[in-house]
Amino acid sequence: MNKIELKNISFSYSKDETEVVKHVSFKVHEGSYVSIIGHNGSGKSTLARLIIGLLAPNDGEIYIDDELLTSKNVRKLRQKIGLVFQNPDNQFIGATVEDDIAFGLENRRIPRKDMQDIINNYAKRVGMEDFLTKEPSRLSGGQKQRVAIAGALSLNPEILILDEATSMLDPKGKSDIRELINEMKKNNPNLTILSITHDVEEAYDSDEVIVLNKGEVAFKGKPQDVFSNRKILESLSLEMPFIMDLKDKLANQDFKIDKCQNIDEIAEVLWPSK
Amino acid sequence: MNNVTFGRYTPYNTFTHKLDPRNKLFILILLIVAIFFQFHVWSTTLLLSGAFLILFILMMLISRVSFLNIFKSLKSMWFLIIFLLVIYVFIPNKAYEGTPICYQFNEHYAIYWASFYQCGYIILRIILLFCLTMVLTSTTKPMDLTYAFEWYMTPLKLIRFPVHETAMTLSIALRFIPTLLDETERIMKAQESRGVDFGRGGLGKKFKAIISLIIPLFVSAIQRSEELSDAMEARGYDPRAKRTKYRKLTFGWRDAIAILFAGAIFGGVLYLFILDRTGTQIELFQWIFKVNPGF
Ligand SMILES: Nc1ncnc2c1ncn2[C@@H]1O[C@H](COP(=O)(O)OP(=O)(O)OP(=O)(O)O)[C@@H](O)[C@H]1O
Ligand SMILES: [Mg+2]
Repeated sequence: MNKIELKNISFSYSKDETEVVKHVSFKVHEGSYVSIIGHNGSGKSTLARLIIGLLAPNDGEIYIDDELLTSKNVRKLRQKIGLVFQNPDNQFIGATVEDDIAFGLENRRIPRKDMQDIINNYAKRVGMEDFLTKEPSRLSGGQKQRVAIAGALSLNPEILILDEATSMLDPKGKSDIRELINEMKKNNPNLTILSITHDVEEAYDSDEVIVLNKGEVAFKGKPQDVFSNRKILESLSLEMPFIMDLKDKLANQDFKIDKCQNIDEIAEVLWPSK
Repeated sequence: MNNVTFGRYTPYNTFTHKLDPRNKLFILILLIVAIFFQFHVWSTTLLLSGAFLILFILMMLISRVSFLNIFKSLKSMWFLIIFLLVIYVFIPNKAYEGTPICYQFNEHYAIYWASFYQCGYIILRIILLFCLTMVLTSTTKPMDLTYAFEWYMTPLKLIRFPVHETAMTLSIALRFIPTLLDETERIMKAQESRGVDFGRGGLGKKFKAIISLIIPLFVSAIQRSEELSDAMEARGYDPRAKRTKYRKLTFGWRDAIAILFAGAIFGGVLYLFILDRTGTQIELFQWIFKVNPGF
């Protein structure tokens, strides 16, 4: 089933400006994990805003759960989507960490008696349980990103859109969040994730990669296919994910590693354990 | 930019900190009204003000309000004090005629004791107000104050005043003050590194420097507000819809004690004031100390 479908979407911020999203079409299946990569200014954040209905396309149609997104049903359909924005400072609404996580819950009219547990639970899962009463001005960028992620997840979205949501986290923080998302997926296999990222390693983990270039879909496919194509990567000035780079270099030295899927299998070829 | 210490919230855990902000706001208003009662007998007014001063100092001790801050802010008021003295003492006022004279210059011009009392009383009142607001603001988070305001404004919903929206706007403004202060500092540094001098220069130069600060600050604030409203909408915010509330203000036993205490003080002073206005001479000083203060 298609969770999100974009049909020929075009968008410009004002009438006389050039379009920043041009004829974009793609489908995202329920339960899949799709990455969107592309240069700065290629229209990734704009696309996220279009999907959640904060912007209306000039042209084209957006379907969420096969329902056409219109100004009438936007509030209803939006409830299915959690969006973590790029700038952690400008999405921190509450006075403190706990108030910020509560903000979404209040909007959903979650009873007060249930809120505390939800807040504690998600704060803990993003590692912010000791900061509940801290104000945003006393948090680092990465900590604010964690709070934003907790805020989005606490609403139990069916679709999670992450707009460079872990860009300010250290490697440990990134892998923590990745683990958290994997865990959420395990609990709810139908969770659909759309991740906007510059991190090729992260994109390599996803089911599908969409490459945006100047507002157009430049490539769409499995990460193995995208990242094995040096030409695409060079045109986007992206690096190869470590494993693809390794395979590429080993293949050039006549190792038979075509069928290997991960580091362990490559290691097995290089140093057979018998 | 972080030197704005006057009345800043200090995160202690005292009796006053634990009070309901609505209650604190109400008590503040009661006490302000109480200090503004003026009696016909000067000694009574001054005696009560002195009593209030002692009471407020006790409140500040209980709430662990920093006295240093009060002194610092009073230090910057010496000009106001001199100004008041000159106005009250040297400018002739018909109301004082017939009261005891301090110094007679000539038959048309004299200085009266009452003018000193009046001036001292005004300065004392300012100090009292300072102390009171300090107790409130340093024991109450700004956000809790907005919750209290929202609660008091609730009846205005009947005349369709946007109570919730106003409170939300206020709380977001409070939330963004530190962010915008940081931003101001950053822009100032950035402009200074480009050669703008915020400290020196004539009026024209200063004006230019300020403009180079204000314009980027506004642009960024507007951009922030757009992103913020997007973030709020994305999380399902609808100003017209009903929302549940995470923060609940609770009126506890401490509040009951505090309001009874403040109510008793207010009631007592109000009683004296009514007696005073209905013609009784309130000679409080004489009643208590059995001495005639002489004024
Ligand atoms: N509010 C806006 N008003 C006008 N133009 C905008 C606005 N936001 C973005 N743009 C323009 O739209 C284009 C796409 O911006 P967008 O933010 O979607 O890029 P992005 O792919 O998210 O980039 P980044 O990787 O830097 O986040 C850019 O050229 C940008 O200048
Ligand atoms: Mg972006």
